[in-house]
Amino acid sequence: MAHGEVKHDYHLVNPSPWPLLGSLFVAVLALGFVTYTKGLFGLEPGTMWLMGLGLLGVMYVMFGWWRDVVKESRAGDHTPVVQIGLRYGMILFILSEVMFFVAWFWGFFEFAIFWPERTATWDAANPIYADSLSRFADWPPAGVETFDPFHLPLINTLVLLLSGTTVTWAHHALQHGDRSGARNGLILTVVLGMLFTALQVLEYSHAGFTYDGTLYGSAFYMATGFHGAHVVIGTIFLAVCLIRLMVGGFTPQKHFGFEAAAWYWHFVDVVWLFLFAFVYVVPYLVLG
Amino acid sequence: MPMDEITLDQAGQEHDHKPGFFTRWFFSTNHKDIGTLYLIFALIAGIIGYALSGLIRWELAEPGIGPLTMFVAGEGDAAVEAAKHFYNTVITYHGLIMIFFMVMPALIGGFGNWFVPLMIGAPDMAFPRMNNISFWLTAAAFILLMISMFVPGGSAGNGFGGGWVLYPPLSGLKGHPGPAMDLVILSLHTAGIASILGAINFIVTILNMRAPGMTIHKMPLFAWSMLITAILLLLALPVLAGALTMLLTDRNFGSQFFVPEGGGDPVMFQHLFWFFGHPEVYIMILPAFGIISHIVSTFSRKPIFGYLGMAYAMVAIGFIGFIVWAHHMYTVGMNLDLKAYFVAATMVIAVPTGIKIFSWIATMWGGSIEFKVPMLWAIGFIFLFTIGGVTGVMLANAGIDHILHDTYYVVAHFHYVLSLGAVFGLFAAWYYWFEKMFGVKYNERIGQVHFWLMFVGSNVIFFPQHFLGLHGAPRRYVDMAEGFQMWNAVSSWGYVITLVATAVFFVGLVEAMVRRRKAEANPWGEGATTLEWTLSSPPPFHQFNTLPVVKSEGGH
Amino acid sequence: MRALLTLLLTGLAAGTAHAARPEEGALGLQPAATRIMERLHFFHGFVMVFLTAVVILVLGLLVWVMVRYNRKSNDEPRRFSHNTLVEVVWTVVPVVILVLIAIPSFPNLYYQDAEPDLDKIAQSGDLDDPNVYPEAAEKGWLTVKAQGNQWNWTYQYPDFVDDAGYAMEFVSNPLHVGLSDDPAHTQDAPRNLAVDYPMVVPANRYIRYQTTASDVIHSWTVPSFGVKTDAIPGKLNQGWFLVEEPGVYYGQCSELCGVNHAFMPIEVRVVPEDQFDRWAETMMEGDYDAAAEIVAEIEPLDEEATRLAAAQ
Repeated sequence: MAHGEVKHDYHLVNPSPWPLLGSLFVAVLALGFVTYTKGLFGLEPGTMWLMGLGLLGVMYVMFGWWRDVVKESRAGDHTPVVQIGLRYGMILFILSEVMFFVAWFWGFFEFAIFWPERTATWDAANPIYADSLSRFADWPPAGVETFDPFHLPLINTLVLLLSGTTVTWAHHALQHGDRSGARNGLILTVVLGMLFTALQVLEYSHAGFTYDGTLYGSAFYMATGFHGAHVVIGTIFLAVCLIRLMVGGFTPQKHFGFEAAAWYWHFVDVVWLFLFAFVYVVPYLVLG
Repeated sequence: MPMDEITLDQAGQEHDHKPGFFTRWFFSTNHKDIGTLYLIFALIAGIIGYALSGLIRWELAEPGIGPLTMFVAGEGDAAVEAAKHFYNTVITYHGLIMIFFMVMPALIGGFGNWFVPLMIGAPDMAFPRMNNISFWLTAAAFILLMISMFVPGGSAGNGFGGGWVLYPPLSGLKGHPGPAMDLVILSLHTAGIASILGAINFIVTILNMRAPGMTIHKMPLFAWSMLITAILLLLALPVLAGALTMLLTDRNFGSQFFVPEGGGDPVMFQHLFWFFGHPEVYIMILPAFGIISHIVSTFSRKPIFGYLGMAYAMVAIGFIGFIVWAHHMYTVGMNLDLKAYFVAATMVIAVPTGIKIFSWIATMWGGSIEFKVPMLWAIGFIFLFTIGGVTGVMLANAGIDHILHDTYYVVAHFHYVLSLGAVFGLFAAWYYWFEKMFGVKYNERIGQVHFWLMFVGSNVIFFPQHFLGLHGAPRRYVDMAEGFQMWNAVSSWGYVITLVATAVFFVGLVEAMVRRRKAEANPWGEGATTLEWTLSSPPPFHQFNTLPVVKSEGGH
Repeated sequence: MRALLTLLLTGLAAGTAHAARPEEGALGLQPAATRIMERLHFFHGFVMVFLTAVVILVLGLLVWVMVRYNRKSNDEPRRFSHNTLVEVVWTVVPVVILVLIAIPSFPNLYYQDAEPDLDKIAQSGDLDDPNVYPEAAEKGWLTVKAQGNQWNWTYQYPDFVDDAGYAMEFVSNPLHVGLSDDPAHTQDAPRNLAVDYPMVVPANRYIRYQTTASDVIHSWTVPSFGVKTDAIPGKLNQGWFLVEEPGVYYGQCSELCGVNHAFMPIEVRVVPEDQFDRWAETMMEGDYDAAAEIVAEIEPLDEEATRLAAAQ
């Protein structure tokens, strides 16, 4: 047997500077965040350049890293067995994201469902906490004007559901070698994604409650806000796929980058359906 | 064990293209090098965490606040006040470091990285580059945590002194308004991301890269334990990340999740935290379970007893681990029937754990046991973990936990399962795989002395803490009340013994590195049946260029 | 043998508590001052029987395999890896043990956690049942609210309200905080346990205690009562106890609450009902020091020795 001849299909990746650099910039980003909010190392609170540096660095590393992945894919490193691994990896990543959202739903449900129990054991006789009782002694708390789910949120639901179909259209077109169909589907999806974000911003601007200082606002914005962030990430992911498609990437047989983006998009979609149902519709119908 | 029939082409395995020093260790995409990096990292973090526990025992050796005043600014009573807060930060960072930066990196990052691919016959991890960022993010997280010790926590001084559980409001703006707590949160976020990426890597590696013929039911138990550990990490850590994010925005952007004045609920943080925290304790112990199985089998020269039972006991422990979290919160004023449920669910854990203990003994039964150093640690593990386990059964009962909660009984319990459990498993693995990893032999005599000193020392530290706890000594006290003196003094003397043991450990490490006794591919003989022993010691830079084939009749 | 075992398992826990405080070198639970704690004593000893048996069994098996199956004694290892019978046994036996443990565990939990129905107890009039106190039940509840602060306790007695409508309330500060001007510790003022104005409750009364906090989480406990309840800001938790024997009982804050966590002890003085009344009256007049003087010496009960004391 020839010495050192690799007789397996796994991808042995070459040494790479990205992990070290990326971690470095993550640390800078974290330190920058704390510098911004609290001040650190003699820098005044409000100092933004350190956080900006970290953020730019992280984005640069992401770009370089994924560019390397695309290069390796084109060089043929992503054999069928490696592609299976990538698929498992993406599924598991989405699973961990689901658990991340569990935390927001946990919070929202706790506040929305168990407020009678909490009211019953609230230390209302205590002057420090008597006042706060009014902030959750009902759900939504008194004075909080929630959104009518059948206006903007419903439109947003339709936008996102539609984008789910357009991304599937793009996928089928890609599988059948119809590159212009794939391109059109993707462009539509990206546009719908941006439309969703725009509508969400519009909705936020009309909110009758704020993030800070109110319990309802905290729970609402945390859940919908993190979803919104995921929509933005998903939109960027799809946009990158669109660019790759337009510069000649992807084949009908091999387009995992696109599939990962589509899975991610569907995940964002499903999370929205849960948000729409339990954060918007059910409280609106049940609690009025 | 499943794979006693292995065909392997050893040819071509001397082929080593090692990159240059900087590229090799800083840009690594090699699972063995990254594993070594993790071990070095865990060693450094472990020294710091161990030194912090030394401060705890030193302070508690005598009544009053004495030794810690030497480490803080000021004189007289000002120093005493500063020392009180310093003590709180010491216990906090001891816990965080030992959990997130010692045990987890060593067992999962270190031994997991080294031996999961070797044991399942894979050339490397599924995502070698992502493997490296898991390591460097852990290092970045550690640096953030270290910085947080030296920046303002609150009015009381530098660092966060609210315990590793980070309960608000003490961890909120009211308790620690300074940047230290924000850095702790971001450190744990970073460590969490590292662990989630690592978990994805392990799961994909184990599912997708097993050698031809190695079905999931022939996979070595260490790989099983890492698979379950990784799943727990993947599902539990994001919930912690969520809780920490809420805490972070409570502190910085005015949200009210855990702020009672705004209607928020501090108890919800505890629920979210322990939904992560309970699986976390299994994350720390399951890899040790896997390691102990291999060691017991190797040195008894006997296949593991009840392989499937062992594997599925771990699955059961992992599953139950997700539905018992509130047994850490019996005193928060939970609904009584809910408490009763958590009592019942918690007690169930004793059954799969018992299966594991008895299966290890059954593996030894009828064997031909050789008492090499790893086996000593393994037997020590089995006995001490049993003690930690039975006190867990006691604590599971909410009735008695009402008085034992937050006392030294709990401290004794979790140190018996983690310090004398996970850490003994860690040392067992260290000696078991030492030759394989480093290519040199350790000194048997020194290793034995290390074990016996550590065994005696750690028991002297932690056994008396049961008495303290039963008698009502609360945790996290810089100065014990009258009546708790004697056992605290004994406990602190135990620490001195472990100090000697730790010195012996380093002597053994240096001795082995200086003497450079040539390692054998398989020093343990016929009992060592897993794939790593078919390779040279240390294994080639890239192993299994030709995949090993596991023959089908090798089953149980 | 049984007696030895009991001693071994419960340590120095025998005897009622007249002044329950930590004993140097103690091995076990603090002496019981309430029925709740008495039941926990029994439960702890009961569970310890199983735990000790399991540990001894595992140790015995380990010693046996090390002696019998080491390389010198047994050069040729056997190859078995299954035995259905023993696998079933070591699954079923732990289940049985757990069920046995659960049998006293759940009633204990419900006994201490569910607030007793005093009307029902008073009507039952069952003086032989050690779990209920019909005579005390007739007097109804006495409520004490303990609010944790950084770093002392505020005790409020909602049953004692002045003309202006304010409930009796006072702050209980630690005597010792680890500093150089701490007063000397004495038998009456044990180090890190004594306070200036203790919580005072009558003996043989059902006490409903409530816990809450004004800043961060604290935890209110008296080990010899067998109670511990977190004091959580905004939240009102509650529990109950009844102490039969007058005496001084100590506890310590049991949830990390910041710098002086180790220095916010709990001192409860349990006194006969008439002494309590005198104390409360003086407190209502606002003379805390005179009130403290009244409970400085704990008076004996008029009645015969109580059940817990008679049990000795």
